[in-house]
Amino acid sequence: MNTIILEHLSKTYPGGKKAVNQIDLSLDAGEVFGFLGPNGAGKTTTVKLLNGILAPTEGSCQICGLDPNVYPQKTHALSGVVTEHAQMYDHLSGVDNLLFYGQVFGLSSRDCRARAEELLTKLGLLAAKDQKLSTYSTGMRQRLSLARALIHRPRVLFLDEPTSGLDPESARNVNSLIQNLAQEEEITVFLCTHQLRYAQEICTRYGLLEEGNLLAFGTLEQLQEQIAGGITLTIQGAHIPSHLVFSQRGEGIYEKNLSSREEIPQLIRQLAMEGADLYQVQAHTPSLEDIYFTLTSKRKETVS
Amino acid sequence: MNSSMLAIMRKDLRGVTVNRRLFSSLWILPVIFTVFLPSVFNFIFYVSPEDSDFTKMIDLLPASMQTGDLTQIMADLALNNIMPVFLLIIPVMTSSIMAASSFVGEKEKHTLETLLYSPLSLKQIFQAKVLASFSLSMLVTFVSCILLFVVFGIENYILSGWIPMPSLTWLVLLFLLSPSISLIAVTLIVRGSAKAQSVEESQQSASYLVIPVVLLIVGQVSGILLINAGILFLLSILSAVIAWFLMQKSMKNWNYEKLLR
Repeated sequence: MNTIILEHLSKTYPGGKKAVNQIDLSLDAGEVFGFLGPNGAGKTTTVKLLNGILAPTEGSCQICGLDPNVYPQKTHALSGVVTEHAQMYDHLSGVDNLLFYGQVFGLSSRDCRARAEELLTKLGLLAAKDQKLSTYSTGMRQRLSLARALIHRPRVLFLDEPTSGLDPESARNVNSLIQNLAQEEEITVFLCTHQLRYAQEICTRYGLLEEGNLLAFGTLEQLQEQIAGGITLTIQGAHIPSHLVFSQRGEGIYEKNLSSREEIPQLIRQLAMEGADLYQVQAHTPSLEDIYFTLTSKRKETVS
Repeated sequence: MNSSMLAIMRKDLRGVTVNRRLFSSLWILPVIFTVFLPSVFNFIFYVSPEDSDFTKMIDLLPASMQTGDLTQIMADLALNNIMPVFLLIIPVMTSSIMAASSFVGEKEKHTLETLLYSPLSLKQIFQAKVLASFSLSMLVTFVSCILLFVVFGIENYILSGWIPMPSLTWLVLLFLLSPSISLIAVTLIVRGSAKAQSVEESQQSASYLVIPVVLLIVGQVSGILLINAGILFLLSILSAVIAWFLMQKSMKNWNYEKLLR
């Protein structure tokens, strides 16, 4: 069953700025979806639309079968949101903040305390639980925000740059927590980031966004297939037959673009049979960054 | 009222009590009105000569209010006719301190958006915030009133060996008029706070709400009005109706987008 559905979703702000333009996508339970794009691409607007905080100007969306624009409160009960602008109270301690939000979400004091302790432990904040939030570092605040978003066991988790401000170890813990939530508890994670390398480490599917337009949507393999010359084969060798159309990149270094991985063994066999000396063979698949920049430059060419 | 709304109320009240500056400013005016002002009145009545202007003023009062000696009549007049209207300022001022920052304060600290992601409707969040400010305002009003009776009683007992008794006016004022007026003030201020862009702007708008009460004081002190329990009762009913109407209609045209703008 699709947990998140967006159909022709569009949002134009009163000033006329089109922040989100005709986005269509659907996500299943347990997916970690990377919604990728630079600042101002429309990621946060989409999160707000999916939570009923903004009303779409066109199209619709659903969270677990509910239209957030019609049933915002019911949608909020199913989702947890971590964004830069969703902060907590400085005058309360870490645990008191969690207890407050737990109670707002209707948890009993007992459940709330147990859940808060569990999350504080998982996120490495147990030792600082009684400190006022005003004494927390940026990274600690970010982890506490994640705990706050998870306090009511949501079905969908919206994360806007969840690892910004975190040290490498904390970032690794948060990533592992996010992956566990998706795999073990089947929570759908909608992760917004402009850090493409980070997204590639953790996400199972991607949506690439630019100026409110969804450029591409799919798994990494699907995205790689969408751009021409998906794989680059680099070989280091000598006596390379010219009819195999390799382009020379340096002294003894040759490159060839292939459309699929399946072409590699056949090509290597042919090179060996035709007497080529091979010292090193390396297949390079385009990273998310490569795909993103290829797609954005293609779009610019189309627009111009 | 559900447990989620209670949690917001508790959090808002805690926000005021842990903020020393805010908490002390909450008590400055009540202390002036319940300790300083009555003491000044008592002192003036005690030292004024028998043939002062007070005597002429007493002659103008209804016969039922002219029992006892000059000091007793003046003390009774101050307690039951002058102080009640002064005390009406307390719920309005107290409301303005907490309610003014209710929405805009959260907006400034970036905590409003987090609250809006909760499973509560805007109306429920609004009502929770109104009730938090209202509860605090009523608590301060009741404590101030008790303080006033104690100070006034002790001072009069020391100065003239007599304790003035509060009239029926106080019952109407405490249990009907001040809750209604407080609710009107809180509702208007919280609504204003939702519209405001800064706490200062919200506090400035809130301060205008004191004007009707000040006019009431001027009327009472100058003798243009003579407010009794009956007039206060009618005012209370009118205020209660306005308060109910405001509570129901205040957030009718609001939505998340407008609130976060």
